[in-house]
Amino acid sequence: MSPGELIIELFLMPLVAFVVGLGMVLMYRRIGARIQRRVGPPFFQPIYDIIKLYGKHTQISHGLIHEIGIIMAVGGYVAAETLLPVPGMSGLADKGGVVTLAYVMMIPSLGLALGVGQCANPNGSIGISRALTAMLAYDIPFILVIFGAAYVYGTTNLADIIAIQQQQGPGGWGIVQMPLLALAALLSLQGIMGKQPFEIYIAPAEIATGPMVEMSGKFMGGLFVMQCFQLYTVGVLYTTLFLGGGEYWLTFLPKIFSVVAIPMMIAFVFPRYRTEDVIRLLWKWPVLIALTGLAVVLR
Amino acid sequence: MSNELENIPIRQELEVLQSGQKRTNPLANVFDGLVKFCRSRSMFMLHYCTGCGAIELPPAMTSRFDMERLGIQPMVTPRQADILLITGYVSIKTLKRIILTYEQMGSPKYVIGICSCTVNGGMYWQSYATAKVLRDYLPVDVYIAGCMPRPEAVISGLRELMEDISSGRAESWKKYYQHYDYYLGNQQKLFGEDWQTPTDIIAEARHYDLMTEHTLGEHTALLEKHQKPLEALEMRLSVKDKQKV
Repeated sequence: MSPGELIIELFLMPLVAFVVGLGMVLMYRRIGARIQRRVGPPFFQPIYDIIKLYGKHTQISHGLIHEIGIIMAVGGYVAAETLLPVPGMSGLADKGGVVTLAYVMMIPSLGLALGVGQCANPNGSIGISRALTAMLAYDIPFILVIFGAAYVYGTTNLADIIAIQQQQGPGGWGIVQMPLLALAALLSLQGIMGKQPFEIYIAPAEIATGPMVEMSGKFMGGLFVMQCFQLYTVGVLYTTLFLGGGEYWLTFLPKIFSVVAIPMMIAFVFPRYRTEDVIRLLWKWPVLIALTGLAVVLR
Repeated sequence: MSNELENIPIRQELEVLQSGQKRTNPLANVFDGLVKFCRSRSMFMLHYCTGCGAIELPPAMTSRFDMERLGIQPMVTPRQADILLITGYVSIKTLKRIILTYEQMGSPKYVIGICSCTVNGGMYWQSYATAKVLRDYLPVDVYIAGCMPRPEAVISGLRELMEDISSGRAESWKKYYQHYDYYLGNQQKLFGEDWQTPTDIIAEARHYDLMTEHTLGEHTALLEKHQKPLEALEMRLSVKDKQKV
């Protein structure tokens, strides 16, 4: 690939991710509305929200680290997008691989922690400590799943993983080869996306949206953008590991949207667990399922 | 109570004083129009449930009337909110909290007074502990009268606010800066002359270039006389030795 093409792809991949992510946010809110028997927001609602937040007159900054934290939160996911191969574009996927991706996906949480720390709001501190604890909880099954998938495919290169699955057809997809690992990954996706029942760190009614409590204007807008990237990233990663990736956008988009839709549908019918229960649950069931899946795979 | 508090002008119709001139770049005007439209279509509301009118908000938000199809959704902190809904009578103690909340919200911000109690005191018109007319203390964009207004009325009020925002009429948040002396005077009349909030409104007015001859006056002078610098609260954990934890 020539450097010119690479630069175009590095620019296009986050842009596509943002646009698709906006669609996912819309889907998330529409699913919630339909489950609660409402109409839901209009089609362009996510983009209205973001433009409005960036257009506020008051932009309360709590200092340099606050701003850097938000840049890290968005930038971490932008970096993750360049490592995720999509139909027609592979970006840095050859150089990176799934282990790098797992590291890069932790940057947003850490950036958020930095930014919230500067705000010095007790609700924010409580929220971010819960968020990092939740990260500890969902990352264990997630890493186990990545390990198992890398063992089955014999590579950590995401482009190769897609190629292997597409050679073998739907029978060779990860979800058929290692159903237990796919199930464990689905459960930890719920945690990665921060949706109910693992949503205690946001908890609007108790700690006033936790990490976001002091975020206003463009900072909140940055977090809305981050949410778009987050939904897209988890959808694409799951599709790449277990659903054969994408050959064409026409087959790829339904896959990633349906992957993201499953945790959302679960989310709206659940209340939330306490932090210690989140850890207990995530370290018990997904880890148990993932370990069994590993045993099956390694046999 | 000192003399300064006696001579607050009787309720006056406050006007938003237009200071800014229209931008010359046509593209900038298109951009401003887009931002205005998005502002009107995406409103995060902080509902400060002071009274009985709050009971009409859940049906307006949930499946029967569904505010979200208008882009209105609840938010829980003043930092993220655009509209402050005051639903019902405002006691003097509550009013302090409302003013603190209002001053923490990011501009542009809008206030909606729901129920008759915020218009003229409603059934609490002779109460000694109730602030009768909300717009003496805060600039109110839309009043929704009724005791209580039904969700249809609430939504029609919100739609009116949406139209005002997209056409640029809902700029009463500027009034708070431009006529701060008047609002502060009314607040001091209720809370005493040593009333102060953590937010420095005068500095903000300077920042937004909204200083007028009505921003400063005798009441802000009184505020400066009594103002104490804000200090961070000391955080201390004390555990008694003998007590088992």
